[in-house]
Amino acid sequence: MDFYTKYRNQATLRVAGFVALLIFLTLGTGWALYVSQRVNMMTILALMSFVATLAGALMVPAITRIIEPVKDIWQAVQHISPHGESATAPSADEVHIGKELVSNLINNIYQLASVVEDIEKTNAKQAQDMHVSFVANSLPLPLIVLDDKETIVYVNEVSLKYFGIPADELEGKNVYTAFDMSFVNDKTLTSWLKEARHDSVTANANWERVRIGLPGQKDGKQFDMAAHYNKSNPMGYETLLVLFDHTDIYSQDDQSMSFVALGVHELRTPLTLLRGYIEVFDEELGPSLTPELKGFMQKMDASAQQLSAFVDNILNVAKIEDNQLTLQLHEEKWEDVLMNAINDLSLRASVRGITIKTDIATDLPTVGVDRYSIYEVIANLLDNAIKYSKGTKEIYVSASLNKDGFVETSVKDFGLGIDSSILPHIFDKFYRNHRNRAQIGGTGLGLYLSHAIVQAHSGQISVNSKVDEGSTFTFTLLPYAKLAKDDKSGDTTSITRGAHGWIKNHSLYRD
Amino acid sequence: MDKDTATTTPKLKKVLCIEDEHFISELYARALTKAGYDVDVQLDGQKGLAAAQADTYDIILLDLMIPNITGIEVLRTLRNPAKTPRFHGKIVITTNLEQRDDVRADIERQADGYLVKAEITPRQLVEFLSTLETSVQ
Repeated sequence: MDFYTKYRNQATLRVAGFVALLIFLTLGTGWALYVSQRVNMMTILALMSFVATLAGALMVPAITRIIEPVKDIWQAVQHISPHGESATAPSADEVHIGKELVSNLINNIYQLASVVEDIEKTNAKQAQDMHVSFVANSLPLPLIVLDDKETIVYVNEVSLKYFGIPADELEGKNVYTAFDMSFVNDKTLTSWLKEARHDSVTANANWERVRIGLPGQKDGKQFDMAAHYNKSNPMGYETLLVLFDHTDIYSQDDQSMSFVALGVHELRTPLTLLRGYIEVFDEELGPSLTPELKGFMQKMDASAQQLSAFVDNILNVAKIEDNQLTLQLHEEKWEDVLMNAINDLSLRASVRGITIKTDIATDLPTVGVDRYSIYEVIANLLDNAIKYSKGTKEIYVSASLNKDGFVETSVKDFGLGIDSSILPHIFDKFYRNHRNRAQIGGTGLGLYLSHAIVQAHSGQISVNSKVDEGSTFTFTLLPYAKLAKDDKSGDTTSITRGAHGWIKNHSLYRD
Repeated sequence: MDKDTATTTPKLKKVLCIEDEHFISELYARALTKAGYDVDVQLDGQKGLAAAQADTYDIILLDLMIPNITGIEVLRTLRNPAKTPRFHGKIVITTNLEQRDDVRADIERQADGYLVKAEITPRQLVEFLSTLETSVQ
């Protein structure tokens, strides 16, 4: 028997019992008085009415008990209604009839209420998620969200379109595994995040000209990138990256780079011929020339070489500016590389009556260098030393292993020297020694270039100078063994680097 | 001033110089002939490629900015055995055109040498070609 039927039967039984009692008492009273014949009919009817009323009054508490469940159910409904926290919770203990029914109903009411509450919460969350997703997907820019492990936790639809792969190939991956990112200077995402985590609760940053592509993709797009960092975001969204695709603008710059390349091509053709003919004349006529004419020939050759070196400087600076100079670091014997450059520069030195003296340690470890780029560094430092020698006749080049385990190379001249106020800017682009500007030609590109190239080799370049006593430029290079050990890319034959010491979010720079 | 290179006979003898700048090819041909090489010159890509496919050259000096067919296309065709089955020689790029580093690396992978003409003299070119012989039995 269910609780309701039980309750109905109990209630019916009680009501029927009371009604029977009422009828019995009323009729019994009337019948007794009628048999005794002591009172008239009117009195009998009055007494019967009185007994009926009395019996009816006695029924009220019983009926109250029957409707008691309604009160408890009402209280339960009140309790769960919005703002009903202050209402009294029902208690089925006081219920006499239909206790099981009431307990059951109240339980059901509370269960339903909790289900409704869950649904409401879920709906609210879904609504919020929908809002977030709506905003993220309406953003006409790629958005990438990272957690505190730099794992991609969300990418919007625009990102997927840009990179042309489904979300599940990006989400859950480390951002550096998912993308190749390269920056124009050493402020990288990694270095900024490290700083932000250390110093800030929230932080913002911007980058220009970040190359981002899928691993192995040849032409990554070029973006400006904005980042927001939030240390304790409850959703675990620590870093938001928004990308602005400026590939078109920057590729226009690349076109201007092509313009530089074209200009350089036009300069190089006559230079090739000039150097070729000088060589022919030198070979054919050299033995018969007077010392003076022979000297002129050498000066002509040295000038052509100098022009060729300058053209290379222009190109390399343009490449650095466009984040296009990549270096392939190979294991090289430093003495060979150094002597090769010195030999090439010796003609330029000798036509000015200068001798380059060398002191190269014999037990130097091999170094990891890009032969072409590091040549530019030596050539530029020697070229400067030659230019600023001011009548002095010697330049010293030395190389040794310093106490920090770096291969240290110095180029020392005894010429004009550099004023101390100028030294801090000496590696800036187009910066030149003002005092000497009028006396010595040059563009101020060489040291800027040298600085960038040495940095890209994980080395340091510095200068020590005193006016009228000369200058010593010193740069350091990592022994190859150390470089290869630090580089975790696993490729031991060649290590790819960009200029500026910037990063191909290279494992070398990762924590 | 004459170097030994002028008197020794190179193992890789036949050279084709594909170069549109006549003065440069003339200078190179002079230096190479003096060093004992047989040199043919072609002034554009199409004729250069045809010559390379018709004859057997040991070394091809290939400029990149040349008329009709670019040097890069010539390089690709020569390195494709289906198109140029007879050619097994060395290819040395001689150019003054500056490439993006990745493009240059790509070209270097397919060639046996990559020289910037403004940075070398004809004699240095001869010296470079003699180093190619060390890889030839």
